[in-house]
Amino acid sequence: MRKSTPYLLLVPALLFTVFVVVYPLVQNLINSVCDVSMIRGGKGWIGLRNYELVFKDTVFWLAFRNTAVYAVVGTVVALVVGLGFALLLNLKVGRINSIAAFLFTIPWVISPVVAGFAWKWILNDRFGIVNHWLASAGLVQIGTSWLGDPQTALVCVMLARIWQFYPFAMVMFLAGLQAIPQEQYEAAAVDGATMIRRFFYITIPNLKSVSSVLLVLGVIWSFNDFNMVFVMTRGGPMNASMVLPVLVRELTFVHFDLGRGSALSIIIFVMLVSLSYLYLRMVSEKDAA
Amino acid sequence: MKKFLLSSLMVLLALIVLLPFLWTFSTSLKPLNEVNKYPPEWVSVNMSLKPYSDMFFYLPFSTYTLNSLIVASSSTMLTLVIGSLAAFSFSRFQFAGKKIFLMAFLLSQMLPGASVIIPLFQLLQKIGLYDTHIGLILVHTALLLPFVIWLLYGFFLGIPREVEDAALIDGCSRLQALRKVILPLALPGIGATALFAFLGSWNEFFFALLLTSSDSTKTIPVGIGLFVGEYLDVWNQMAAAAVLFSLPPLILFMFTRKTFVKGLVAGACK
Repeated sequence: MRKSTPYLLLVPALLFTVFVVVYPLVQNLINSVCDVSMIRGGKGWIGLRNYELVFKDTVFWLAFRNTAVYAVVGTVVALVVGLGFALLLNLKVGRINSIAAFLFTIPWVISPVVAGFAWKWILNDRFGIVNHWLASAGLVQIGTSWLGDPQTALVCVMLARIWQFYPFAMVMFLAGLQAIPQEQYEAAAVDGATMIRRFFYITIPNLKSVSSVLLVLGVIWSFNDFNMVFVMTRGGPMNASMVLPVLVRELTFVHFDLGRGSALSIIIFVMLVSLSYLYLRMVSEKDAA
Repeated sequence: MKKFLLSSLMVLLALIVLLPFLWTFSTSLKPLNEVNKYPPEWVSVNMSLKPYSDMFFYLPFSTYTLNSLIVASSSTMLTLVIGSLAAFSFSRFQFAGKKIFLMAFLLSQMLPGASVIIPLFQLLQKIGLYDTHIGLILVHTALLLPFVIWLLYGFFLGIPREVEDAALIDGCSRLQALRKVILPLALPGIGATALFAFLGSWNEFFFALLLTSSDSTKTIPVGIGLFVGEYLDVWNQMAAAAVLFSLPPLILFMFTRKTFVKGLVAGACK
């Protein structure tokens, strides 16, 4: 066996990684400090002006705030919902259990585009079923436009996102619950601990590492998520639900401002690298333990 | 009694969770005048499969379906070939920098699409692959590779070294050993990986949206995602497209649930 064999086998995969990761990142850095517009085709070093423009833009800060809320609040709620479902499934009610587990997981398997479409349709102002029910109950007026109202648009998209992400948390929590040694519960029962105390002193501590991995992964994925917002609102109305990945598309492919788009994508990259670093540290700590 | 209450709770929760789909499904069977009716109804006597045929006839969904099939199956095959070479290297050799390479692949999975899309767009345009099947296949392959390598790496590690050593003693070369011994043994794992890869490409929206522009290359999610904004009046046909598009993932998931969930838990914890 030659020494180079293992490296040669990696070459094709590495070429592809260079193609979608290394090259684009380098090219992005170059774009972001140059005056490149798809229309004007100008070129030349302009330093950090594009970054300055991005940071001066109020839409950027709005999108940043929205993305943070969308990622953090959305993930936390999804984890709580997922844990609830996992606890329910862990009671093992018999045959219905595995069917229920299957049905509860469906939102996660389905394409985000279909999920966005389905949510947009049940929330439709005139013909959506949710509005019809709420109006029949006298809670809202007929024709309330949840996605068209800057006050509620982001919340609706988050709801859809939570709905799509909770099954992942559910599956992971369920695996975590099933890994808890039964002896711990038996010992606690012998000592006379109530169900609530057992939950807080045994179940929750045992799920700590799963929850932290889920939290970071969820935040990273939601931070990157373009699909749900794009399909449901395109960031509107009036940027009320704008998030950073959608803003990159808007700057680049709608306003044809490559420079600012590139600067923004580098900013997103830096944010994501910090989050990923956190994740890696957590995973390696777990391996070491 | 307790069992009955819990079962009812599960049924109720399942109904709530599936509400968006049930409503979409109901819509996909209705004629247009009943879709645009208030108050809305769940079932009607006029339900039929007509929106499904309409969608293929009036909207370009037959082309989109073909495109999706071409892109998803080609990227799956390409990823499997390239990924198994890399996974073979990781699982069977000790070499300098192995850990770094593995980490690099894991990390590239976290990469935000938004931070690479612009240069990819420019590059594909420059080399004439923008708005082509090949361009999208190459990008999807690259996106799927890290995950596929990690999965295959795990499956290959599970195959005992001795089997391979025996093949080498019998006069096989390393690559022959991979092709004739390891790959057949890892077949179930490779099958599961192929499913992940296929679904990954099938459902992918962001790159498919931004790297295509004509109907002859757009995939189904792009069609649905764009039409939601433009053809608001044909909700029943859009719903039909959404239902049909969801069937492959649903069916695949139904048959591979165990592997799916296992891989999911292992992949995220690893």
